[in-house]
Amino acid sequence: MTKKIKVLLSKLGLDVHNRGIITVAKMLSNAGMEVVYLGNALPEEIVSVAIQEDVDVVGVSSLGGAHLSLGSLLLKEAEDKGLKDRVAFLMGGVFGPSDGQRLREIGFDGVFLPGANSEQIVSGIKNLV
Amino acid sequence: MERQMKTTKEILDEKLSGQPRTPLYSPQALDAIRRTVDQWMNSTVRETDRNNWHKTPRTVLGSDTPRELLYTPLSHPDLDYEQDLGNSGQAPFTRGIHANMYRGREFTMRQLTGFGSPEQTNERLRFMLDHGATGLNILFDLPTIQMYDSDDPFAVAQVGMSGVCVDSVEDMARLFKGVPLDEVTISIVTHYPSNTAILFPMFLALAEERGIPWETLRGSVQNDITLEELIRSGSEYIPPRDCFRIQCDNIEFIRKNVPKWNFITINGYNLREFGTSAITEMAVALSNGIEILDELVRRGYDVDSTADRLAFFWSAANDFFEEIARIRAVRRLWYKIVKYRFNAANPRAMLMRCHVQTSGVCLIQEEPRNNIIRAAYHALAAVLGGAQSLHVDSYDEAYSVPTEEAALLSLRTQQILQKETGVTDVVDPLGGSFYVEALTHDIEGRILDEMEEIERLGGYVKAIEGGQIYGRVASYFAEQQRLIETGEIALVGQNVYQSEVEGPPINVFRYPEGVEAEQKARLQKLRLNRDSEKVQSSLSALKDACLKGENILPYSVACARVRCTEGELFKVFKEAFGLWKPPALF
Repeated sequence: MTKKIKVLLSKLGLDVHNRGIITVAKMLSNAGMEVVYLGNALPEEIVSVAIQEDVDVVGVSSLGGAHLSLGSLLLKEAEDKGLKDRVAFLMGGVFGPSDGQRLREIGFDGVFLPGANSEQIVSGIKNLV
Repeated sequence: MERQMKTTKEILDEKLSGQPRTPLYSPQALDAIRRTVDQWMNSTVRETDRNNWHKTPRTVLGSDTPRELLYTPLSHPDLDYEQDLGNSGQAPFTRGIHANMYRGREFTMRQLTGFGSPEQTNERLRFMLDHGATGLNILFDLPTIQMYDSDDPFAVAQVGMSGVCVDSVEDMARLFKGVPLDEVTISIVTHYPSNTAILFPMFLALAEERGIPWETLRGSVQNDITLEELIRSGSEYIPPRDCFRIQCDNIEFIRKNVPKWNFITINGYNLREFGTSAITEMAVALSNGIEILDELVRRGYDVDSTADRLAFFWSAANDFFEEIARIRAVRRLWYKIVKYRFNAANPRAMLMRCHVQTSGVCLIQEEPRNNIIRAAYHALAAVLGGAQSLHVDSYDEAYSVPTEEAALLSLRTQQILQKETGVTDVVDPLGGSFYVEALTHDIEGRILDEMEEIERLGGYVKAIEGGQIYGRVASYFAEQQRLIETGEIALVGQNVYQSEVEGPPINVFRYPEGVEAEQKARLQKLRLNRDSEKVQSSLSALKDACLKGENILPYSVACARVRCTEGELFKVFKEAFGLWKPPALF
């Protein structure tokens, strides 16, 4: 029996918009994954909880414009704590395709633009793990 | 808090059912029409249409309200012009809050502005004013909204993004440099009661420093518990009861001291965008409104002299006629509530004044220029519904805050409506439409039904505490996602008529660099230069007022004057009220 994929979901920083992340949490849960929802958190806390919970995937949500600035801090923290190689990092939220590309360049394993549907997200995660 | 034992629906039924009605359509006309419609149904209307007479449009943020294939007088046969419509500016105000509506006062073109440092936003504010904007609408960055200083650890890498950063009265001064505060109407989007109680005093302190009397200031704050406790994601919340108290403190203080200022713009919009229907949006807002008036009465105020500055904030989404009909419905319903539930006598206290923002959620990332069309339809609906003030979302909504070009287009959308279409020359142009009157009536009933559910839960604040409103909203947006994924909700360019070829790219706004560092340096300097004794004593006095149940605003203004920072005041609230953990979302 395969172990459930375990995903940590979090709002990145102070971003107030959580409709998307809640929707994704349900999508993943319906797809048979184990979901831990952290709410709002900074990179340090996200990484620390990811280690504690021994997750396979970290998914963060940013609609407030800080996807690159905080996103890069998150990846740096993940690298410093030796997590970057063990866990897949995903970003979703509001930003354009060119920023999406940039996020991939700085190290995000998956990026979901507005309009991504459950099929894309679920299979996207399964392919990474 | 004393609670009316009867629900609003019960009260209105009681007070209105006895009233004599004069139906618009004569019985003979209706009989004749009934006969011809029957004949038409059997001879001209197709069987499939007969069997599927009602159809519910499936739209983003739409309600479940079915529509007939064709509306006739039979759709709403007992329509009574005087009881149900009245003339514009006359009870029940269905047709408009003023007799002359846009001929007397055009809708205010009030586009949201905010990014980077106060100086950078100031530049864009002046650009908008120079290009014909008739009101300002300021949006703050996330640290400012969530009440952390720009150098707080929570604020890292987020300063100046998606809004302007303001930490103290000195930032307010930079933000409004060269803006005549006594001449321009300014919406300061302080979403929450808590940040309203912190940031608005900074604005007031600025006006004072500029020698501008508070009596001359015109504008609005949001000040809504819905935003602080129900729909935002955050790390720290004060309890809903205390948040509600602050909401009313803000109203009380502003009503007394800043008489031309709209002390609340009841939501509305953000709740809808979070994910709920055209109906629930209004049921929640009216429930909040009722609870506010109840509290003001409890505090010894009379509704006639307080409700006249109450304002609402609605969204305008894709279902064109639903958006028009519901603004008319809520205008009529709010009048009934203030008159019959609160026994008001002043007609001005019964007016549902509103600002409308076109829906952001309806604007998608694929083929972004299509959003210009979508937003134009939304804007038209808002104007046909009779909004007092309008913001049109920009076509790059799904990318970032608007570029200057996109923001200008939104302004032009409004100006073309106002100047070129002739739509504003006639008041309530759709009044009397068989469809629109029937739909207005239907929606009014649905809003009232949902309000009743909230009231039976013990009222709005209770329903927030218990998580029931959240639960309703969460099922709604889960269902919306499902409908989009099955294609039942069509989104041109996304799930229907998808392009094979990518269109030309659009310019996307880039946040300016260096804002965080600059703001941190300013804060350091501010803390060195201010009188720390006065800072401590004013914060301490504020905390006392919190604990003693006094109106906290005068104390907050005192804090603003001596250069307290926002984070310092939020800290006082947290210490005084403690933290609340909202019901789990997932």
